[in-house]
Amino acid sequence: MGAAAGAAVERPRRPLVWRRVRSGSVPYLLVLPVVAVLGAILAYPIYRLVRISLEQYTLFQLRTGGIYIGLHNFDSVLHDAIFWHTLLRTVVFTAVCVGATIGGGTLIALLLVRVSGWVRILVSIGLVLVWAMPPVVAVQVWNWMTNVQNGVLNYVLTELHVGDYFGHNWFQTPFSSLAMAVTLIVWGALPFVAITLYAALSQVPHELVEAAQIDGARGWRVFKDVTLPVLKPILYILTSLSILWDFGVFTQVYLLIGQPAVVPANYVMGVYLWEEAYISSDYGRGAAISILMLAIVAVMSVYYVRRMVRVGEVE
Amino acid sequence: MRYRVLAVVAAAVALSVVAATTAQSSRAAGHTLTVWLQVDAQNGWPQVVAAANQAFESSHAGWNVNVQYQSWGDHLQKFDATIAANDTPDVIEMGNTEMTKYMAAGAFSNITADKSQFANSAQWLAGLKKSSMYNGKLYGVPYYAGSRLVTYRTDLFRGAGVKKAPKSLKQFESDLAKVKAKHRSKGFTPFYMAGTDWYSALSFVYDYGGSIATFSHGKWHGALASKKSIAGLTAYKKFFAAASPKSAATLNEANPAPYTVFSQNRTAAIFGPGWFSCCTGKKYTKVTGQFVMPSHKAGKSMPGFLGGSDLAVPAQSGSQAEARAWIADFTSTANEKALQAVGNIPNATNLLNGTVNDRAAQASWFVPTAKHWVDVENGNILRTMLGQILTGKLSVKKAAQTASANISYTLNQP
Repeated sequence: MGAAAGAAVERPRRPLVWRRVRSGSVPYLLVLPVVAVLGAILAYPIYRLVRISLEQYTLFQLRTGGIYIGLHNFDSVLHDAIFWHTLLRTVVFTAVCVGATIGGGTLIALLLVRVSGWVRILVSIGLVLVWAMPPVVAVQVWNWMTNVQNGVLNYVLTELHVGDYFGHNWFQTPFSSLAMAVTLIVWGALPFVAITLYAALSQVPHELVEAAQIDGARGWRVFKDVTLPVLKPILYILTSLSILWDFGVFTQVYLLIGQPAVVPANYVMGVYLWEEAYISSDYGRGAAISILMLAIVAVMSVYYVRRMVRVGEVE
Repeated sequence: MRYRVLAVVAAAVALSVVAATTAQSSRAAGHTLTVWLQVDAQNGWPQVVAAANQAFESSHAGWNVNVQYQSWGDHLQKFDATIAANDTPDVIEMGNTEMTKYMAAGAFSNITADKSQFANSAQWLAGLKKSSMYNGKLYGVPYYAGSRLVTYRTDLFRGAGVKKAPKSLKQFESDLAKVKAKHRSKGFTPFYMAGTDWYSALSFVYDYGGSIATFSHGKWHGALASKKSIAGLTAYKKFFAAASPKSAATLNEANPAPYTVFSQNRTAAIFGPGWFSCCTGKKYTKVTGQFVMPSHKAGKSMPGFLGGSDLAVPAQSGSQAEARAWIADFTSTANEKALQAVGNIPNATNLLNGTVNDRAAQASWFVPTAKHWVDVENGNILRTMLGQILTGKLSVKKAAQTASANISYTLNQP
């Protein structure tokens, strides 16, 4: 870059100015429509969100409009013990989901490289089918499988003599309820990670692997020193995306546990937000919570985004 | 050739535009009354809705009624959105426990002056009327109620030597013990009830003279930790432990539905809304019976939760008089009798006729009419308490104290 610019300065010519202006503004012109669309569909809602978060806005204000109360909503949320407990629970929940998704996805991707052609096709079809299933339908299937009375899970575990699971309630405690939600979320997220990583694995140069093997490296060592560095940029992207998705997850947790069993002890942030905003009809507090969530998730993913950008720069 | 195609397309477009505009103008000529009813009406008594619409449309020339069916799970969120958009329906069906919050928020029109317009309004069921009143003013019209009954297998009870419906809770317990002794198959319990089904469980509290909360000196006071309430909760714990499956302690009545358990031959009796008899399974229809849950006081019935619906006119509706007229048509004596015929309790005492449903409605309890009651319900405070009691995680007293404090706090929010 520097050398090219230097060369240009040495031979100043008139059209160059125009060329420069043009080449400088073209990228901006190209990006303008996107910025305009994003501004229209994102900026206004965000402006409204911020405004409502600074207002007393409940059922009473739906007709009359909100009343400005400054930072009171944020203050009340940050002094709510449920918020802090939920936040901690959600961070752990997210870590488990993301860890299991990325770990499991990597293993499946590595498996796909090794297996024969038709097995790969079968596994890929399976993955795509999982991916194609809407979360609401998946929740229904999970509910059937884990049903106390007639669930196939209890039946199979009992028949296999794993233990007496007759009439076992998989949603007895907050921990077990959330564990069931984790299985559902990880199951649904695996295909995307596995398929993306499989594609990335095809970028690992064969020569490098062979060279490492000639040098005596085996299995784990080859993976760690040859495969992993190539996968890294993709892993950063997948991890930061998974954090974003899992931290704000709502559908699977809320529907699987079910409204009658949703209590502060099993809240995750998405559910907490829903309960405060829509069930208690306190839209001001709800807006404050969603802004806090945005800030938290931004902080959580900053590490990965920075690594991602750095990887991009090196390349 | 290409031009001809273009011409055809242009003509088609022009025609459809004309059709659309004429359709619009013909719609604009008439008036539409938008009514939100719950799907129960669509499934259970569509003929009543049709009769009301016909009566209304014949007395209001140029009007037509657009009934939109809603589901319990999300109708309030949808309603909130219409309030914000100033596009509410003209009539809305509300669950009786949902009314207070909206009355307090000024979402419904005050119809106190129009009360006499509605049939049997002097004899409305006390439980429903109470749910339609806020600060002494009327904001809703009682629609129908449903009480809670024991639905049981007559063959299994008879087979265990139980010939008559129990007269007291103690007798019911011993009857269930007899059924249990006779049927010892795995997964079968003589009684099934979801442990956290508070509508049913808190009947024990009211039976022992307790309550959820009381109002005095301008404040709500949680009352579940009172001596009488604790006696009721203790009786519930004992009753549940003796006859119900342990695994149901933390379950709710939505999943699995008690009638499903019944229809799968896994229990001899369930406790819940009277309409449970609908779905006890083809095999058992002929051996399904119902009786009113007995009180711990011999010869009396246990007060049951009086669930039900009211009809209200949103304050933002532009057709207030028409909305009231439709409600009057919908809750006419004839229509209420038709509702009764399909197993509901009609909205007025003079229409009761001694069916098991109606008898159950005579002793009933209702939730505190506080504007934040819905938050207690949605926060699952009562369910949490019941789960803690039945699993033994907390003592009855400790669980009741925690719930009671929670309820006081929630109800007294500004």
